[in-house]
Amino acid sequence: MKEGHETTSSGATVQDAGALAETFVMLADTLVDDYDVVDFLHALANACVGLLRASAAGILLVDQRGGLAVVASSTEESRLLEVFQLQANEGPCLDCITGGAAVSSRDLGRDVKRWPRFVPAADAAGFRSVVAVPLRLRTEVIGGLNLFYAEAQPVLASEQRVAQALADVATIGILQQRATHRSAVLAEQLQQALNSRVAIEQAKGILAERNGVGMDAAFGTLRRHARDHNTKLTEVAIAVVRGDIDPPTP
Amino acid sequence: MVTMAGNRGVVCATDDRASRIEDMQLTAGVGPCIDAVHSGSPILVADLDDARDIDVSRWASFGETVRDAGVRAVFAFPLRIGAITVGAMDLYRDTVGDLSSGQMSAALLAADAAAIALLHLDTDGDGAFEPSADTRADYRLHVHQATGMVSVQLKVPVEEALLRLRARAFASGQSVSEVAADVVARRLRFDEEDS
Repeated sequence: MKEGHETTSSGATVQDAGALAETFVMLADTLVDDYDVVDFLHALANACVGLLRASAAGILLVDQRGGLAVVASSTEESRLLEVFQLQANEGPCLDCITGGAAVSSRDLGRDVKRWPRFVPAADAAGFRSVVAVPLRLRTEVIGGLNLFYAEAQPVLASEQRVAQALADVATIGILQQRATHRSAVLAEQLQQALNSRVAIEQAKGILAERNGVGMDAAFGTLRRHARDHNTKLTEVAIAVVRGDIDPPTP
Repeated sequence: MVTMAGNRGVVCATDDRASRIEDMQLTAGVGPCIDAVHSGSPILVADLDDARDIDVSRWASFGETVRDAGVRAVFAFPLRIGAITVGAMDLYRDTVGDLSSGQMSAALLAADAAAIALLHLDTDGDGAFEPSADTRADYRLHVHQATGMVSVQLKVPVEEALLRLRARAFASGQSVSEVAADVVARRLRFDEEDS
């Protein structure tokens, strides 16, 4: 790993070793405790944004039915989530998962023929370049980590290495240590993570409507309640959907 | 296939043997189907004789009974849509081994379809089950956000809100995704339109 700062042609700094180390320590600490996988991946997506100077980061997982699903994102804003979700049909993240290797575009404007639906949507959301790296487990690709940048810029090899390391940590997080020796543990955990995400969306919808706030604020309310009560995010979401709790908006 | 909500019990089984095993799980209150419902995660046991599998050892008498019935592997899939849990689907096999990725995908799609069908059976909502409707698990996030919003608008459980969304889509010739997008964008309210 490169020490100190590395500067791109556009002047943006990449990670420094200290911040990088801190991030991995933070993620490793989370993995020790009983944790919520969607909450963990949300923290990881935010770490990507901070470390790699990306505008947004998202994680898509294969749904084992022939599709892809957004499971975490650095932003909960609906418009941006849609850009991530679009890649279930077309885009760098889909190509990365299909090919099992990193895919990047330093200038999306030049790749409009390659991704005719994705590029205009990304452009409308303010993104100009993109990197996607695979979430790998041995020979299998279980998803992709997607980084979006506001500027058209070359993707540095060092950045791509860090992104791949973070993607590998994401895979570990999804696998969750469980006291089984089953070979099918990945399928069990993948389906669990995907369904957690659906429960969180249901709860976001309830809070957004009840409190007259956006989806981003509703997610914040869920997350704060989970933190304050030392509960898993998914459990809070399920309790909201069942009407057991009504977390207050700040 | 069992349902835990509404009329709790075995909904259907392919033969007597499967039916007996399901009844036994419900009576004993232990087994892969019970675990799948409570954990919300598929429980995929490729080898019921694997002594390292702590779940199997917890099931105690269930394990013996199914092995006596010639079952060597069991795959239990929760039937759920987010926080909505309607039951579980169990697959039994007389040979040891994991499901192939193709079999896994087929089982998940079958569980998706069963979850939607059972939701219609279990809810007194007015949404009739349309076999032609898309029954694959929907991971477009705004569909589930809209479900939550509609449940608040109509003061009904999310189960019924989801059926109302699907019924509206069917009645208006739109996709569920299109109706959901209108709800999330606050262009459409169900409490003004439907009641």
